[in-house]
Amino acid sequence: MRRRDRTVALGLQVGVFVALMVLWWAVAKAELVRPLYLPGPGAVWDAFVDANRCRPISADSDRIVCGEQGYYLWGHLLASLQRMAVGVGAAVVLGPVVGFLMGSIRWVRVAVEPYLNFIRSLPPLGYLGLLIVWFGIGDLSKYWLLFLAAFPPIVIATINGIRNNREDRIHAAQSLGASRLQVATRVVLPSALPDIINGVRIAVGFAWTTVVAAELQNGLPGIGGLAYQAGVQLRTPLVIACIIVIGLAAIALDSAIKRLGEVLVPWQGRA
Amino acid sequence: MTAAVPETPTSTGVAITLDHVSHRYITDAGEVVHALADTSIQIPAGQFVCVVGPSGCGKTTLLKAIAGFLRPTGGRVLAGGQPVEGPGAERGVVFQQANLYPWLTVRKNVELGLRFRGVAAAQRRAAAQEALELVGLSRFIDAKPYELSGGMQQRCQIARVLASDPGIILMDEPFGALDAITRRRLQNELLAIARQKKKTIFFITHSVDEAVFLGDRVVVMSPRPGRVVMDQPVQISSHYDHLLLDELRSVPEYTQLRDRISEAIREDEH
Repeated sequence: MRRRDRTVALGLQVGVFVALMVLWWAVAKAELVRPLYLPGPGAVWDAFVDANRCRPISADSDRIVCGEQGYYLWGHLLASLQRMAVGVGAAVVLGPVVGFLMGSIRWVRVAVEPYLNFIRSLPPLGYLGLLIVWFGIGDLSKYWLLFLAAFPPIVIATINGIRNNREDRIHAAQSLGASRLQVATRVVLPSALPDIINGVRIAVGFAWTTVVAAELQNGLPGIGGLAYQAGVQLRTPLVIACIIVIGLAAIALDSAIKRLGEVLVPWQGRA
Repeated sequence: MTAAVPETPTSTGVAITLDHVSHRYITDAGEVVHALADTSIQIPAGQFVCVVGPSGCGKTTLLKAIAGFLRPTGGRVLAGGQPVEGPGAERGVVFQQANLYPWLTVRKNVELGLRFRGVAAAQRRAAAQEALELVGLSRFIDAKPYELSGGMQQRCQIARVLASDPGIILMDEPFGALDAITRRRLQNELLAIARQKKKTIFFITHSVDEAVFLGDRVVVMSPRPGRVVMDQPVQISSHYDHLLLDELRSVPEYTQLRDRISEAIREDEH
């Protein structure tokens, strides 16, 4: 985009955002909808601020309460991100290894692919019950859930990366005297890196939606657990504040991986 | 024009032997393609052979058979007296696309062949430096391949093969994708390098002009199935060694030979 186009695009986005906020504020102010269903932006902001600080439990009380459900809101967010780090982290380590084996050894692919596709086609919350039976209601079952959600997309992306390797690139290495192992580690794997990073991006997005939903069960601390508890207690402003935080966190995660990809694969789209 | 099989009396000093090589394959549609008819060529060590012909004449099949990328369905391919079983470092390949590795710098790309063989870092560095100087790319030693122009990428690929120091260099239309000016410049450079390095070079092109300018010998092939229709030594480049390379192009013998080869290709089409 040209610079002028970009300025116009940014102006448009800011304009729509402001218009939506004003509309939200006006609808809430005029009480067209009961505040229980749609609190105004101010109430949501207050809920967000309160959830991140210590305050008296009510205006005339000396009792001080910090955050919500025993944690600040950012603490809930952090708890969810930590679950992601363990479950998705394991998938990021193991996924490319399994994908590499499946992509380069035909009989491994033939043997394993049906099961991979089976797991991939299941909604993770569908097997959460089984994971709870096996691993308990605590974090261990959630780690497994996130691992199983993130693993297939990474494996499949790696397989594609391995199999789409340009034949000439491999031939060039062989004609320079590369052994099979050298071809695999120095040519095939780096060539697949852009695909692997794409797979990780898809996996993280999917795992994030999964972790928020999984926290409905024993999910405190956790941003999904907090959103659910707030809903149960009919604290709509806090629910909306959580939803916005969940969405912004998803966007931040995605752009972080995208940025990481640009650093690790500067040749993307240029070679 | 008859398919002349050159007779080489001694087997010593032969770099490449194609002994009744032919190739057929079956397409995905189940059609049998006769890519290469019975072809025999012997290439003495140190010769610069250009193979010219239209697309579909089997010249790339021939190169792949020598490189070890494919196993021809008939005949034998020998390199340095040994049957070709697969790709190997003694047969370097320069592709039409540069095939540089974008995650490595220019220097590391050029060092790669030596790295695969476990050559020490200092030696690798020196060899890469020398090869890059030879192709005029030493200023870009720390650049990434995608930062180079198409012509510079091809230079880098040539440097990579030179640093690896194979006895035989196979080149598959290496200048085909370049603009006319860059192409001419690289032809001049390649000829200078070939004269200096005394490698056996098997060079594929569809340009008669390029073949005559570069080769000690020009092999003309025709399509469907690919076969040799003319095998012609070129005396010019050694006779006029004192000439500047660009002057060489206007030598009458050169233009006459070019016309004769073009004629041979045209006749075959009728």
